[in-house]
Amino acid sequence: MDPSPPLQLRVNPPLSLYIHFPWCVRKCPYCDFNSHPLPTDLPEQAFVDALLADLEADLPTVWGRPVGSLFFGGGTPSLLSPEALDRLLQGIRALIPLVPLAEITLEANPGTLEAGRFAELRAAGINRLSIGVQSFNNAALAPLGRIHSGEEARAAVEAARRAGIENLNLDLMFGLPGQTPASALSDLRIATDLAPEHISWYQLTLEPNTPFAHTPPPALPDEDQLVAIQEAGEAHLAAAGYGQYEVSAYARAGWQCRHNRNYWLFGDYLGIGPGAHGKLTSPAVGCIERTRRVAHPNDYLARSVPQRLAERSPIAVDLLPFEFMLNALRLKEGFPLALFADRTGLSPATIAPTLQAAEQKGMLQVTAERIAPTLHGWRFLNDLIALFLPD
Amino acid sequence: MTDLKRIRNFSIIAHIDHGKSTLADRFIQYCGGLTDREMSEQVLDSMDLEKERGITIKAQSVTLTYTAPEGDSYQLNFIDTPGHVDFSYEVSRSLSACEGALLVVDSSQGVEAQSVANCYTAIDQGLEVVPVLNKIDLPAADPDRVIDEIEEIIGIEAHEAVRVSAKTGIGIPDLLADLVKRIPPPEGDPQAPLQALIIDSWFDNYLGVVSLVRVKQGTLRRKEKMLVMSSGRTYQVDRLGIFTPKMQDTELLAAGAVGFVISSIKEIDGAPVGDTITHADRPAPKALPGFQQVQPRVFAGLFPINAENYEDLREALGKLRLNDAALFYEPETSQALGFGFRCGFLGMLHMEIVQERLEREYDLDLISTAPTVVYEVETTKGELVRVDNPSNLPPVNQIAEIREPIISANILLPQEYVGNVITLCVEKRGVQKGMQYMGRQVQLTYELPLNEVVLDFFDRLKSVSRGYASLEYSFKRFQAAELVRLDILVNSEKVDALSIIVHRDQSQTRGRELADKMRELIPRQMFDVAIQAAIGSHIIARTNIKALRKNVLAKCYGGDVSRKRKLLEKQKAGKKRMKQVGAVEIPQDAFFAVLHVGKDK
Repeated sequence: MDPSPPLQLRVNPPLSLYIHFPWCVRKCPYCDFNSHPLPTDLPEQAFVDALLADLEADLPTVWGRPVGSLFFGGGTPSLLSPEALDRLLQGIRALIPLVPLAEITLEANPGTLEAGRFAELRAAGINRLSIGVQSFNNAALAPLGRIHSGEEARAAVEAARRAGIENLNLDLMFGLPGQTPASALSDLRIATDLAPEHISWYQLTLEPNTPFAHTPPPALPDEDQLVAIQEAGEAHLAAAGYGQYEVSAYARAGWQCRHNRNYWLFGDYLGIGPGAHGKLTSPAVGCIERTRRVAHPNDYLARSVPQRLAERSPIAVDLLPFEFMLNALRLKEGFPLALFADRTGLSPATIAPTLQAAEQKGMLQVTAERIAPTLHGWRFLNDLIALFLPD
Repeated sequence: MTDLKRIRNFSIIAHIDHGKSTLADRFIQYCGGLTDREMSEQVLDSMDLEKERGITIKAQSVTLTYTAPEGDSYQLNFIDTPGHVDFSYEVSRSLSACEGALLVVDSSQGVEAQSVANCYTAIDQGLEVVPVLNKIDLPAADPDRVIDEIEEIIGIEAHEAVRVSAKTGIGIPDLLADLVKRIPPPEGDPQAPLQALIIDSWFDNYLGVVSLVRVKQGTLRRKEKMLVMSSGRTYQVDRLGIFTPKMQDTELLAAGAVGFVISSIKEIDGAPVGDTITHADRPAPKALPGFQQVQPRVFAGLFPINAENYEDLREALGKLRLNDAALFYEPETSQALGFGFRCGFLGMLHMEIVQERLEREYDLDLISTAPTVVYEVETTKGELVRVDNPSNLPPVNQIAEIREPIISANILLPQEYVGNVITLCVEKRGVQKGMQYMGRQVQLTYELPLNEVVLDFFDRLKSVSRGYASLEYSFKRFQAAELVRLDILVNSEKVDALSIIVHRDQSQTRGRELADKMRELIPRQMFDVAIQAAIGSHIIARTNIKALRKNVLAKCYGGDVSRKRKLLEKQKAGKKRMKQVGAVEIPQDAFFAVLHVGKDK
């Protein structure tokens, strides 16, 4: 690659921390995340030690920077015992400062949580719970390979509330086999009646290397049906007080997910645990790096700390505009123009022609202060961000 | 110098799959032309394309040393020939370098139409034709029936034919012994003024122009000054020699020899195929009779997807044209596709091969328009216009008459498929001229409009006869017909590159089928796309491609960006291979849609 001048990175972006838990009771046929069947003898102790060692190894790259949010994703991190979680959180706090009232999210699946555990999770420091409901309709859950029922999902939400969790997200899918706008709306209605702070409502997609991609489930809605479902759902969510702020994210006022927003605003994040990705700005070197740890949990646990780092490489300068847009244009409100230079270290002039082209295509709204996708640009986001790919 | 009596120049005439290349390999092996390690399957088919398709496109040659059982040593020059009907012209070139030809027939399948035609060419050129029965090892082999067929259909004596299996090697020594006995040695005088016929020329990136020649009279030596008779230009001979099949330099090539010549020729049209090479200081009184100039029969526009590659395309066509005299090209401008070339081909296979070679060997991304034949148009002013591009058809009110090319087709097929094949010929507006039973085979003779044949006749013929029917054809005449131009409009804009000329009786159906096919081939866009088929101002079919509603990734949480990037890069690359016509992106396939029409029915 051509030696390019160091990027003009003046400020450090906000920093988040992602922790990956790579096991599930059972792998769902649509899932392409790094998840593996839960072993009977989960090496919890060793796993927590490994995560803390990862974090310690990463510390020099983020020296002195506080963490604004934590996210325990998976897999099914709610399978971790409250004791282990407590030790992990304490360990993290001891290693790196968290901002006051940092958002700390744990992903949970309804079938894996006894009601009694919520209080313990909350006591350990979890202040946001993301429940993988997917659907409240039992007939729709079965082909998705989910191990829980709609009733269990509702019970989980109620139990979380009783335990005092104030910030709840429900993950819901649409475009399920046999789904109609009516059945999708009935799912959403149950969700909004439960009044969570946040709803992630995303379309089922057939990801490569999943059983669904190999053998798609029957009766998937076609594109026109999907759009009908999406439009009906968006209207319902808006009416119920959930504002859409990202392609698949809806929140009541003031409850947008801070952790995910940091991704979308091209912030920095450390990623610890098997297969976890990180992104870090290094003003001193003048580059932005990505890190990735080895994916398979057995491999991960067997290796020494430095050897777990499968990749650590700077993002090619010519790819930075694309990577920035891939994230930032997912946000409905777009981003302030100055953010591009702050986050990428590139002059706005580098993207000016592309911005203009996208504006002419009616895909972007460009003002002196902000850049935001139009509705058309948002619907065809892949085409929009592909404009920023280097030729 | 090899005594003329110890030289044999021969070709092999065989239908595709009848085992010509395998037999050639066996000869090379038997005569020790290559070590076992060098012996890759079918060495003579040297283009990747030829190997992949198992067919021979270009003439190749190999010189072998054969020691007969009596102890005499012979130089065998084998000149390979293509087996496909599109390349009959190349066959006659190869044959002109030979005194004899082996007619190789698959003893389980029998005689095929193309072999019959090539055999007649060989006999016309005065060659000794030696029949050979191949694949004798197959359980289905029926040599006696095939001998009868050869005698009945081709009319040469075949009871003495050697029975071989090129695959296992059975009969190869007998065949070589038979070959030197029956094929006469070349005649010529090594002392006479030089006359060397250029059989083939090609451009090699390292060596420049390489020519394959057959020396008829005289002797050509290294360092001599040679004269290319048609251009009158002289060059110094840098290298000459033979193919063993590796290039092997020699000091001279004397009368009777077949070998290569490399001189200081730099420009690609410096050594035209069919030309005669002589000595600059002692020229031959006249050139050898060259080859009959072939007429391209099928035309199509070739356009670079990326307009910047126009000059590269011109250069690549020039290089291909050097040893493919049948390839014709001239600049063409299309409103839809921009600058490109209107190219003329011998037939559909020739067209496909040229296109593939351009894409592979010259790394060009091309769009080809649907193939068309040449029409003769008589205008109301009494002028005669030849139209090789539907968009150049004069306005209807200026046309007195349109004439289409008619071919005479000989189809050879087993009896049980006669019904199917006749039905196909009738559908293709054919007129039966003859039907002759020959053993278990039937020879059907039809007059067919060439434009019906270039579309999908080969494929259909193969499918209705389970691959058994074979076809050979020749141009007959131009004949008046009720023809009209069918235009395709994309979002009300006429796309000139999509126009075709069809028979009026078929225009309605064709228009509907074509519009439907376009709807299948053009991907949904961000807006509705209307497809219309029209004759003049009269819309005969319309269809609509509904707009795509969205194209967005449901999830993106900072994780695996590189995979998402690759996905989008792939989408973007796919679009780049499409041609933007107005606001609509049209894939390469769509310009070829007329060929796909009716295929999957």
